[in-house]
Amino acid sequence: MASARPRPPPDPVAVLRGHRAAVMDVSFHPSRSLLFSGASDGELRVWDTVRHRTIFSTWAHSGAAGVYSVATNAALGNRIISQGRDGSCKCWEIEEAGLSRKPLFTIRTNSYHFCKVSLTKTPKSVQTDGGDSTEVVNLMALPGEDPSQVELWDLTAVKRVMSLPQNCNLNLAGQTSNQRGMCMAIQAFYTYETQVLNLLSGYEDGSMLWWDLRKPEAPVSSVKFHSEAVLSVAIDGLCNGGISGGADNKIFMVALDQQKSVCTVRKEIELERPGIAGTAIRPDNKIAASAGWDHRLRVYNYRKGNDLALLKYHSGSCNAVTFSDDCRQMASCSEDTTVALWELYPPKDRI
Amino acid sequence: MENGDDATSSANKAMNDKERTELENLALQKVAEVSSAIDAARHVDEVICALHSLAVLIFSVDSSIVSGAVDQRFKDQILSAKCAADSERGSFRNNFYYGSAFPTMARLLLFEVVPNWLTQFPKSVRSQIYDPFFLEGPSIGVLEELIPILNKKGSDKDPVHDKICSSVERLLVLCYLKKEGIRRMVIEFDLVEKQKGVAVKKDDKNSVSRAAQLLASIPDKIRPQASSKLSSFSFFKEATIQLIAGAEEKSMQLPSVCDAIEKDSSQNYAIFFVGETFSRIIRRGSTDIVVSEMVPRIYDLVKSLLSSYSNASLPSVMESTPKFWFWLSLVETMRDQYSIERLAEGILRQLASRAVTDTEAYWILWLLFNRSYNHTVTIRAMFVDKFILWKVFPVSCLRWILQCSVFEVAPTMEGDVKWQKPPHFVDTLQHLVSIWSKREFVQSSSVEQQAYLTAAVGLCLEKMSKQELETAKDVLSLILQGVSCRLESPIDLVRKMASAIALTFSKAVDPKNPLYLDDNHSDVVDWEFEVLTQKKVIITTSSRKQFINKPKTPLPEKSRENLGDKETQKSILIEEISDKGVEDDEKDHDSDSSSDSSLEPYDLSDDDSDLNKTFTQLADIVAALRKPDDPDGVERALDATEKLVRASPDELHHNSSDIVRALVHVRCADVAAEEEEESSEEKRHKALVSLLVTCPFESLDVVTKLLYSSSVDISQRILIIDVMTEAALELSETKIITKEQQRKGNLITSTSQPWFRPGDRGPVGAGPWREVSGPGTSMLQNWSHQYERELPSRPGQRKLGKTRKWSVANSKDLQQEWSKNRFPMYAAAFMLPAMQGFDKKRHGVDLLNRDFVVLGKLIYMLGVCMKCMAMHPEASALAPALLDMIRSRDVSHHPEAYVRRSVLFAASCILVALHPSYVASALIEGNQDISTGLEWIRIYSLHVAESDSDTECASMAMNCLQLHSEIALETSRALESADRMKAQLRTLPSKLDNIIIPFANMN
Repeated sequence: MASARPRPPPDPVAVLRGHRAAVMDVSFHPSRSLLFSGASDGELRVWDTVRHRTIFSTWAHSGAAGVYSVATNAALGNRIISQGRDGSCKCWEIEEAGLSRKPLFTIRTNSYHFCKVSLTKTPKSVQTDGGDSTEVVNLMALPGEDPSQVELWDLTAVKRVMSLPQNCNLNLAGQTSNQRGMCMAIQAFYTYETQVLNLLSGYEDGSMLWWDLRKPEAPVSSVKFHSEAVLSVAIDGLCNGGISGGADNKIFMVALDQQKSVCTVRKEIELERPGIAGTAIRPDNKIAASAGWDHRLRVYNYRKGNDLALLKYHSGSCNAVTFSDDCRQMASCSEDTTVALWELYPPKDRI
Repeated sequence: MENGDDATSSANKAMNDKERTELENLALQKVAEVSSAIDAARHVDEVICALHSLAVLIFSVDSSIVSGAVDQRFKDQILSAKCAADSERGSFRNNFYYGSAFPTMARLLLFEVVPNWLTQFPKSVRSQIYDPFFLEGPSIGVLEELIPILNKKGSDKDPVHDKICSSVERLLVLCYLKKEGIRRMVIEFDLVEKQKGVAVKKDDKNSVSRAAQLLASIPDKIRPQASSKLSSFSFFKEATIQLIAGAEEKSMQLPSVCDAIEKDSSQNYAIFFVGETFSRIIRRGSTDIVVSEMVPRIYDLVKSLLSSYSNASLPSVMESTPKFWFWLSLVETMRDQYSIERLAEGILRQLASRAVTDTEAYWILWLLFNRSYNHTVTIRAMFVDKFILWKVFPVSCLRWILQCSVFEVAPTMEGDVKWQKPPHFVDTLQHLVSIWSKREFVQSSSVEQQAYLTAAVGLCLEKMSKQELETAKDVLSLILQGVSCRLESPIDLVRKMASAIALTFSKAVDPKNPLYLDDNHSDVVDWEFEVLTQKKVIITTSSRKQFINKPKTPLPEKSRENLGDKETQKSILIEEISDKGVEDDEKDHDSDSSSDSSLEPYDLSDDDSDLNKTFTQLADIVAALRKPDDPDGVERALDATEKLVRASPDELHHNSSDIVRALVHVRCADVAAEEEEESSEEKRHKALVSLLVTCPFESLDVVTKLLYSSSVDISQRILIIDVMTEAALELSETKIITKEQQRKGNLITSTSQPWFRPGDRGPVGAGPWREVSGPGTSMLQNWSHQYERELPSRPGQRKLGKTRKWSVANSKDLQQEWSKNRFPMYAAAFMLPAMQGFDKKRHGVDLLNRDFVVLGKLIYMLGVCMKCMAMHPEASALAPALLDMIRSRDVSHHPEAYVRRSVLFAASCILVALHPSYVASALIEGNQDISTGLEWIRIYSLHVAESDSDTECASMAMNCLQLHSEIALETSRALESADRMKAQLRTLPSKLDNIIIPFANMN
């Protein structure tokens, strides 16, 4: 077994072509076989992941602004959030034949930055146990007008709820936040045990803050693993660990200890070439993936941290990678205007 | 007291005078007696007796020895001879030697005794009664008697004169070398003064210098067959040793240094005599002998003082120690400027070869030259002007010269001890810098001279402070001017000099912020510049290499170790953590753990080939090169260009001019990252070469137009020329390998005959092939089949009885490989446009003056082109044009050595490229261009070899002359053979008369 030569890395099962500009972000529909992708020319596309066809296309954020991020969530149900470079986020209804003509609502955030919007992530068990998803407040996190500040918006009420660090102690925290620079990556999540909304944010100087929204005055923990800007943060399905990538040549797998409120490095992965634009962890916590500026996708064993695959398909720098909720598919998008669909280590079917 | 002495002495003198005349008469009378006795002598013993009778009056003679050697009848006479008492003898001797008696006697001895009797003297007798006449006398007087005899020119065959001369030479060796007569002479000059009255007439300088002249002339006057001890080398060596010994002894006797130096050194004849003799020896070209004897003595003296005294007290100590007095005043007493200069030079070189320390050398020079340096303008000029501006010494000597003459302070170990700068210091520096900064100096003086003056300026600058530099007028601007005109030079060493001065200057202005103009900066400037001392350079470079190597090797190892340690520590930590995590996970999710094994990694090998987007279209390359705002794209385009061009796609001819233009204009420096600039520059270079090679005409058209266009700068012009040079070289070496020709036989198709049998082609009537077995081989081992057949003879062919043989082995010859020089057909396109307009001055183009580097490169390129088409007819066509260009006065006599070098190179290339037969035919046809051009090359190289200041130029000119003589020889051979052929043709039968023979119409 050991002596056998490793298998060659797989090719994408499908390549979705159609965008005319760099694809900035992709997102799977939580339950249906749909994929949403946004390109830098402002086009938002809906793809059928079975037939590999474009179902629908719209100019979501027109002009030079472009779509920067698309986000879906089980809690959001049949809706999708698109974030544009025009300082607004739009919420669209997913209909049978695509998206609604007009967005359900538009949020003027007036923020212009490099951070993708984050919806709250709920631990898997909670999601499956509960069903009383109404109790969970649907929140969206993104940096505000001051890009060093994180704002939280209530998506049902369509209003801003909170900003971190809070304005009241701006003098105190403002200084520190200015030192950290812009917020570059956000992930909001509910903790596994306490069901409290937490938030992990990465900054320009490489530091990451862990906020507990019950105590918005100060972060629970502040760590600095990266030597350059943090570009993406992903939280695992159990919401007690994650992975971060940055502009330096390192990927960190971190563990979040809820009791002690400490964030520790679980595994440090050094790369040949710097720049990780996107990271994702499969909901079953088996594997994690990163999208690199070097045109490559990397797949890791999330638990052990070892390399599993190096996927070379894209011919431009990769912008985002994501897994479907059923863990069967992975999608990546790149500057080369393509979206690639992959099927890696499919989970065994259980009854 | 002195007056009293004088009074008594004058009284004594009057008395002595009377007494002396009496004694002198007596002496003369005695001599006359001896003379008449000798004249009358029939037997040698009579002569001995006569001499003995006089000898006993002058010095003590062991009569028994003399009497033992003579006949019985004379024995009594000798033994009975009256021996004078010591006191009597003393006064008689004085009168004998200092009066007219001795010269008479000497003549008598030499002219009468020597030829007739001396050979019959037994040796013992000779040493008793003949030699002492000369040995006991005053060395100066004896010398004055002996030397003139050597002067007399007897005929060579005259045996009498020969005898006399050899006797004189023997006496010279005896008196002056064996018995240290020269040392005695030095001391005698003192005695002369004390010999009241007798020798007073010798107390003038002229007589002293006459004595010196006589002494120094001995080696010139002796006969060739004289003893080797009198040869100039050994005689001057011995003389120097004795002179120094005598002078030192003499100065010990002086009451104080004042007597030796201060009051009237002119009165001190002893030292004056030594100085005079030295200068005469030096004038005769034996400086080295004097110096090699002087230096060790002074060195020992100075060294003995240095250990015990400080620098400040040394001058007074030296002046109060008698041993040093002679040395202090020696140079001052020398009147001959030339010999002083040679002496100083010799001492400097000697000290340099002995590797003495700076302090020792300084004090040695101080001891010898300080007095005259302070008092005499010419000596100061010699040091400050001649030794710094005209001569080239090793750098260590330069340091000493500067210490003595410019800094005027002893070198100290501490270095930055503040010292009062002498008033001349700034003036001298200004003077040096003003010469150093002149462009003419850079252009016209030799490299060694430049390095030397640069070192002098640099060493002076090191002593300057910021304020002084600012106040000294013109120094700042002159240094700037000198540095900038050197930095423009194409010669590396000259640029190095500029950066050395710039570094020193910047250190003087701001020690914390040194200015490094070149990449390999070291804090310590090497003033030798690898030309001033050959030997030391080797040592320093090797040590420097070691110095560089040493710290480099251990450091990375260490850091690697450290790094390794850290890494292992970290990884251990991480492993521990991750192990823990895994365990926890496994406990929590037992069910999942099994599926972990399904996560088998894929092949993780990676290469970055895909990251570099490759260009596949020439048009893309042009587009990418024109986008200076996309450095990556330009870089990648540069990477791809050469490969694409070499593939020579069909569209290359349409695109080549665009690519060439884009490549020339692209700015690598802006594009590439700091350390990669070199490589991208190289790629651009290679790409251009490939273009010029693959489609020469199109590319050359663009390139030659750009060469003189005002839109490109110097670096681009140089690039163009470099690229053309390389392309020419490549074209001339192109290999064309012909495809292996198809074998005639077919391996597969079955025909009536086997594949290895030769085909049936051939003339009609050829017989069938028969197999021939090779000699001595069985059929099985015979791998090569041989066949033969009979061929019908061609009409008109005589039958020589040969058959053609075919075999498989022959097919090898079908694969041929030869290299073909493709350059000649493009040569005109390379050279003619480039030669047009080199002398035109346009906006941004000024090859003859400002951009002389381009001109030099251009001529070099043209030379390479000539070389590339050597022996081809095109060379003969293009050579006149090139000759025309380099012959123009602006080019061939360009002030910059760099241009002259390339002219010489091009001239040599022309000589190499021309075929002798072409030269011969040109001569016969009277082609003026070639013959005058070649003659010009000869005259020009002769001129350069003789008078060029640049050594490189001179040696190149020598090579060129050699090539010229070779081609002249070849041509004359060609002419001879042409003549012979003509002559042969005349004798040939009339049948050949209708063939047109070249040169036949020339007579």
